[in-house]
Amino acid sequence: MPVRVHIHLTHRQFTDGLDVVAVEGNTVGECLDQLVKQFPKMEQALFAKKDKLLNIVEVYVNQSSAYPNELAKPVKDGDEIHLILMLAGG
Amino acid sequence: MWNGLYLGDRMLTSEERERYDRQIMIREIGEAGQEKLKRARVAIAGVGGIGSPVALYLTAAGIGKIRMIDHDHVTLSNLNRQVLHWEDDIGKKKVDSARTKLRQLNRAVEIETIPETLTEENVSRLVEGCDAIVDAMDNLPTRYLLNRCAIKNRIPFFHGAVHGFEGRALTILPGKTACLRCMFRGPVPQEKFPVIGVVPAMIGSIQATEVIKYFTGIGELLTNRLLIYDGLRVVFNEFAVKRNPECDHCGSLSGEE
Repeated sequence: MPVRVHIHLTHRQFTDGLDVVAVEGNTVGECLDQLVKQFPKMEQALFAKKDKLLNIVEVYVNQSSAYPNELAKPVKDGDEIHLILMLAGG
Repeated sequence: MWNGLYLGDRMLTSEERERYDRQIMIREIGEAGQEKLKRARVAIAGVGGIGSPVALYLTAAGIGKIRMIDHDHVTLSNLNRQVLHWEDDIGKKKVDSARTKLRQLNRAVEIETIPETLTEENVSRLVEGCDAIVDAMDNLPTRYLLNRCAIKNRIPFFHGAVHGFEGRALTILPGKTACLRCMFRGPVPQEKFPVIGVVPAMIGSIQATEVIKYFTGIGELLTNRLLIYDGLRVVFNEFAVKRNPECDHCGSLSGEE
């Protein structure tokens, strides 16, 4: 059973409209690498540079914050990753 | 004399009993809860999209004192979401526009207005004497300024933010629960954000609900739980967050996790 990555609404334009993408990996970082391989435009949406997420991106694994060192967090088959964007508007 | 004055200030009048009858009927609130709301002093930072519903519902609910802080003036492009401001208010200070409506809604609530920009230098003074701070700002730097001030002064902080059809809310009890800064990853570029008014209406209502629950001591607060609202799907998602011992705002505070 793969890891399911939930794509933020504003990023679905980069995943052919998919809201959930199935990937394989042992860490969040590996899963996101897989995601980027499937949908290259997600790299710019998520990463400031290699192995450095944009400050606006929040990662949750199984509904819990993966902060800090999100990319190193271990995951296993069946886990759910949510990619959320920090909001500032009021 | 002092005791008598205190009791008089605290107890409900017959008019207040009638005005708040439907919420006093709620078993968890009752007359005792309504008296707690009457004693509460709340600062609302920002009287825009989120601040409008927060101020409206806290005024309607009978919070004793509300202090509104906003330096801005009403513009036409505010009116799609900032429901306390109407066409005739364009050009007026937002706090004045808001006070006019709130006074018409509930004259028993003491409304204080501060038309100042929140800064490092004045933030502590502007929230002094308040029992709660509602974060209804429109930018992250000021949100962090308020967060730090709330933590330092141990004032509960009610966060809410919106973008497009999405919103989020989190309640922060300083020294006890995760704060806004606990997940800070670095500065985020400021931008003009898209928004439709129904979303800050939803998030502001949630923040006002949290404030009411906090003062009456009922229910389960949105602490250590980040609530995300997706208005397009009408889905609420909840994510667990926790205090960061390295947090530069609350890391050094003692308190239960």
